[in-house]
Amino acid sequence: MSGSMTAATGTEALTTEMPVGRSTGWWGMVMFVATEATLFACLLGSYFYLRFQYGPTWPPPGITEPTLLRPLVMTAVLLPSSLPVIWAEHGIRRGERWRLRAGLATTLVLGATFLALQASEYTEKLREFTMTTNAYGSLFYVITGFHGLHVLIGLTMISWLLAASLRGGSFGSHRHDRVRNVAIYWHFVDVVWAAILFTIYLSPRL
Amino acid sequence: MSTHPDPRARLAGGLLFWYAVLGGAIAWALHLLTGWGIDELACAAGSEAVGPVPLRTALSATVVLPALATVGALLAATLLWRRTTHVVTDGEDRPVGRSRLLALVGIWSNLLFLTIIVLGGIALLVLPPCQR
Amino acid sequence: MSTTAAPAPGASRGDLARLERHWGETPSVRSWLTTVDHKRIGRRYLVTAGLFFALAGLSALAMRTQLARPEAGMLSPEEYNQLFTMHGTTMIFLFATPMLFGFGNVLVPLMIGSRDMAFPKLNALGYWVFLFSGLFMWASLPFGAAPNNGWFAYVPLSDEQHNPGLHMDVYSLGLLFLGVATTAGSINFIVTALKLRAPGMSLNRVPLFVWAIVATGFMVIFALPALNVDNAMLFLDRRFGTHFFDPEAGGNVLLWQHLFWIFGHPDVYIIVMPALGIVSAVLPAFTRRGVVGYPLVVLAIVSISIISFGVWVHHMFATGLPQLSYSFFSAASTIITIPSGIQIFAWLATMMLGRLVLRVPLLFVIGFIVTFVLGGLTGAMFALTAFDQQVTDSYFVVAHFHYVLIGGAVFPMLAGIYFWLPKITGRMYHEGLGRWAFWLVFVGMHVTFFPMHLYGLFGMPRRVYTYRSEAGWDGWNLVSTVGSYVLALGLLLVLVGVVHAIRRGRPAPPDPWGGDTLDWSTDSPPKPYNFPVLPRVRSLHPNWDGPSRESMATGAEPDRVLADGRRTLRTSELDGRRERAVEMPEPSFQPLVLALAMLTFFTALLLAWYPVAAGAAATVAVTLAVWLWPPRRPDTEVGVSA
Ligand code: HEM
Repeated sequence: MSGSMTAATGTEALTTEMPVGRSTGWWGMVMFVATEATLFACLLGSYFYLRFQYGPTWPPPGITEPTLLRPLVMTAVLLPSSLPVIWAEHGIRRGERWRLRAGLATTLVLGATFLALQASEYTEKLREFTMTTNAYGSLFYVITGFHGLHVLIGLTMISWLLAASLRGGSFGSHRHDRVRNVAIYWHFVDVVWAAILFTIYLSPRL
Repeated sequence: MSTHPDPRARLAGGLLFWYAVLGGAIAWALHLLTGWGIDELACAAGSEAVGPVPLRTALSATVVLPALATVGALLAATLLWRRTTHVVTDGEDRPVGRSRLLALVGIWSNLLFLTIIVLGGIALLVLPPCQR
Repeated sequence: MSTTAAPAPGASRGDLARLERHWGETPSVRSWLTTVDHKRIGRRYLVTAGLFFALAGLSALAMRTQLARPEAGMLSPEEYNQLFTMHGTTMIFLFATPMLFGFGNVLVPLMIGSRDMAFPKLNALGYWVFLFSGLFMWASLPFGAAPNNGWFAYVPLSDEQHNPGLHMDVYSLGLLFLGVATTAGSINFIVTALKLRAPGMSLNRVPLFVWAIVATGFMVIFALPALNVDNAMLFLDRRFGTHFFDPEAGGNVLLWQHLFWIFGHPDVYIIVMPALGIVSAVLPAFTRRGVVGYPLVVLAIVSISIISFGVWVHHMFATGLPQLSYSFFSAASTIITIPSGIQIFAWLATMMLGRLVLRVPLLFVIGFIVTFVLGGLTGAMFALTAFDQQVTDSYFVVAHFHYVLIGGAVFPMLAGIYFWLPKITGRMYHEGLGRWAFWLVFVGMHVTFFPMHLYGLFGMPRRVYTYRSEAGWDGWNLVSTVGSYVLALGLLLVLVGVVHAIRRGRPAPPDPWGGDTLDWSTDSPPKPYNFPVLPRVRSLHPNWDGPSRESMATGAEPDRVLADGRRTLRTSELDGRRERAVEMPEPSFQPLVLALAMLTFFTALLLAWYPVAAGAAATVAVTLAVWLWPPRRPDTEVGVSA
């Protein structure tokens, strides 16, 4: 233990270059995700701001607390959808194209399921309140809708990868930057959903 | 002096490096967000407590913990500075130049952020939490 | 410290010919529309931002003419509202940041020894989007539909009920559109500076200007989303009946202000920071030494960019926060003055310890220091709450922020224009003309804005289209107006100077000033590939040290020439160690097409042609898909096992 302590605080270890060796594309995507994450942080921050300025009853009278079952199912569909992407990415790094294709296709199905569930939730909720009912309605639809849009964009990117990988000559163990970047975006979309689940569905119960 | 640290030591060293450079900044950001958030929300809700914890205690935690983290970062930056003082640059690119620059940046910026956090702590001592 | 740099004979004639073949562009309409060369794009940024400056400046002249006499009738109140809003919005969003991005575009690759930006096509897209969003906003003026709510568009005055018509829709959509360009540009700067530095340029050898641009990029990435969310909500509230800012239905007007200033305060530094970077770049050449305390200036840049996010609340005195949380923010506002002071003292020390060469760029730097420090002084006065509440929304505030913005951004930009004109155009400017311009601008600026402090204190509110003569403000207002004409004349002379240099100037050598950074070690204007041999950097002042210069001449190595293909070097993030050569993209129409599709999208949203907007969005997606489509390669090359 103390041996590794001194090793970690030695000149050599302290001056380790880290991060190192990333591609420009990787950095570009990470920066893009950083700015997008800030966007969601502002949206969720606005939710809490309006909520606490509003007063004790939240959601406002006339709107029932969101039920949990469907969002939990949506979570169970969306969060694991990152795993096939990871698996696919590891596959193509070893030059196994079938894994790339199979993984992407699986994620595509999961993501589409998520959107279908969201649509069914909307049809139900829209009967109760809409975006113009009050600030709660505006927050609910804009935040979840904006996230849904991101899922849609992510799915478009994945279909695009899938199409390119079906053509052949696109990806392999030497060329997988694009797979990597789409994967980063998809993981981001997933993680944001967890934050939304907490904010919109769980926090009113706290 | 171990000359060839294993990958885990390198990872730890690299992380320690970034803690030394940015630790104070991150601690301050957390201090500001939690301190402001808790004060604002608790007072808006008209209570002087956060759950079971009195508001003042909760707020002190948002000052003291980040302050300690910043002191830690300051120490790490000093360590980095000292570990790069007498390194002979054997010819080509030894990365000490970059590390030394950032060590210096770390030392001064951690001092700045520590000052900001401490000033907030002083305000906490003299102001009642919910006075408008 | 050599003052003349011979063109590097490091690459063979064959290499040069091949480089020219891969990078060279023949002038044609096609190449004009498709170019991805950072120097051409940067030049466009500079010219376009200059145009918007002229438009906003003319608006200011119109306002000053109206205010010269009490109860003048040249402008109606509605026109005046649109003018000051367009003036402020344009100056902040369409002039200051794009102008500095223009400098960044031209200079960052040259200063770090690279052949282009990390994402050249994205760079071209950024320019087109900037141009189109600016035109989008200004096109509303002839229709009498320009934004009219002040540059920070406070609700409730900007909501549908109080402000019907397209005015504020133009504002919110225009800024969202522009945000695409600003974000893309920032990401590009960050990645370029991280990955494309010449080998050997570890972080401790990065020029201060590049540090400043990168810090600015980070501020944009984390600050701009707040403005985007704000504007999106405003547009939704106005057009689709949401209630984010509507207190009747659970919304809150203060939400707008919070989000606006979370963006707005860092934005002051987003504007000023790269300008300060220009100052740090200009000084070494005219003091014959490096900027004193390089690590401390880096510290200042880094810590300002972080702390600037913690001071937004001080724009909102009268909003009733608990005093305690208020003081968490004031602590940051107080401490942020320390790094700002460090920079000023570093420059002063540089001037004291160096040998001054009083050329026009240095004059503007001195003008900057004087003006900016005065602006800082009046800023410090706001820290006194009582004083602040007294002068809020008076002309005192107008005086203060013009001192900061003209002092902190316009003077350094003018210094930069004279400084890099030889590099960009290959021509020297006329020194005498430049001096006249400086003195007119400097005197005009102070005659315009100094009196504003006074009539601000005498109680004249900002944003009024006229005033009664009984108030006793007439005399000083007239002085301001005269000053603004002097200022305009000075700026006109700057323009004349630039045109004169391009037409008549004598040819510029590669390094007319004896500068310290790599931009001075290549031709004026640089070849399309910037450097025949990519340098190997061995110090903070590569153009002043023998070995670094050697590396481009007799010390050239083939793996730094990279003449077969459009290629440049990728190096490691912190220490600038060589990683590998990377391919750079060819010129392309895609950026222009994409930007046009976005323009269609935003115009359609504005005019409520939603099906058209949907079509435009689809075009955006398709263009992007084509843009990023992977090239087809043999399976062996991509590396597939089966
Ligand atoms: C070139 C000379 C300039 C002149 C003569 C000038 C003059 C003025 C005047 C008369 C106003 C309106 C005051 C009012 O009615 O409240 C104003 C507002 C403003 N100016 Fe300038 N200005 C100049 C340059 C600049 C520059 C370079 C910037 C920024 C980079 C700038 C930023 C602003 C802003 C943000 C406002 C506030 C607009 C608002 O109230 O919403 N100005 N200026």
